[in-house]
Amino acid sequence: MKILIAEDDPISSRILQKNLENWGYETVLARSGDGAWQALRDEELRLAILDWMMPGMDGVEVCRKIRRRKKYRYTYIIMLSAKDRKQDIIAGLSSGADDYMTKPVNFLELRARLQTGKRINDLEDKLLLIQTQLKDLASRDGLTSLWNRTEIAKFLSEELERGQREKKPTGVVLVDVDHFKKINDIYGHAMGDQALLQVVSRLKRKVRKSDKIGRYGGDEFIIILPNCGLTEIRRIGDRLRLAVGKKCIKTELETVQVTVSAGCATSELPGTAGADKLFKVADGALLKAKGQGRNCVVVAGQDREPARKQINA
Amino acid sequence: MPDTANLDKLQPIDFCDVLDRIGGDTLFLEELLKIYFREYTEKKRLLAEAISRQDFIQVSELGHSLKGASANLSLTRLQKVAYSLEAAGKEKQLQLAQEAARTLEKEIQTLKAFLEVNPPSGAV
Repeated sequence: MKILIAEDDPISSRILQKNLENWGYETVLARSGDGAWQALRDEELRLAILDWMMPGMDGVEVCRKIRRRKKYRYTYIIMLSAKDRKQDIIAGLSSGADDYMTKPVNFLELRARLQTGKRINDLEDKLLLIQTQLKDLASRDGLTSLWNRTEIAKFLSEELERGQREKKPTGVVLVDVDHFKKINDIYGHAMGDQALLQVVSRLKRKVRKSDKIGRYGGDEFIIILPNCGLTEIRRIGDRLRLAVGKKCIKTELETVQVTVSAGCATSELPGTAGADKLFKVADGALLKAKGQGRNCVVVAGQDREPARKQINA
Repeated sequence: MPDTANLDKLQPIDFCDVLDRIGGDTLFLEELLKIYFREYTEKKRLLAEAISRQDFIQVSELGHSLKGASANLSLTRLQKVAYSLEAAGKEKQLQLAQEAARTLEKEIQTLKAFLEVNPPSGAV
């Protein structure tokens, strides 16, 4: 673990360095407050021993500046000083130091106090990890682990903004499993879920890394395609349709033929400014695909016939 | 103002105390003493300049710094003199600062002579 020693006295600094290295720390040295502040830009430096009296910015000021930082993870700070009056200790801790030790340092005590610092940093790491996991969990669909409706709507808005900035179109494909209710009704929901998972797996194999795929509703999926215009989207929609319907799906109970319909739209079309509008246009195209007998692709704003319905087309 | 009148009654360095602090490593103590003397040479120059222009803040800071370094190495006599230098700076006492600077130099020479006869390696 890396640790900063901010100490202008070379003897104190050297004694600290030797002890800390013997205890397995990787030391970074600073001889002034400004040097300490610069060194603490390194996000790996999460333990710091700051001398109060240093040339330029003193330890108290460095401490205050560290605590005002927003984006960094927590830095555990032990303030060192020859100042041993109660009011000095209070002032040191009030500046944001986690601990305060008076000079000359008792090294057994310092070692124990650094363990406290490590525990605090470890706790923060665990909390941040759990926070990330919870955030991810709240953003995913429970069955398929795809992005959920809220998250995918957010991605679509962000992607549209980016596309607008970069003057690139954004495509949306809505995919709906044909007659999915029948699968559930005949074979039960457990098998329906298995079929859905296989549909998802087939769809995922046909999208790029930069594309985002989410579960929009029960058997409805949405794929957001950055930098995808009208000329490409029909091909992509049909590729997705074929990926699902080309081969039967085997579940534990039954082998079933599953097909999907797809409605496509891109931000090049009129009336698609904003995520909601683009989604509505794609939804209209999906309804059209359903109306045209399912297992086909309809691209909004294009008068061409939908892609052929044959499963193996 | 700290009392530096009875310095002679103290040892220039308290080997037991300093070796206890640095884990009994006499080679490391030698390294630290080298750093100390090197730092003192630089601080002596700065101190002479500060006294000549009556920069009492600088005098006080140098005294504070030397006091800390001396305490780290259990140089009890030098620690006391450095403290008197810091105090002279704080109280803007030019004569006392000059006197402390002279005593400091004398104590450095005393320490050097002591270490020649009693090197750290012989302290364990």
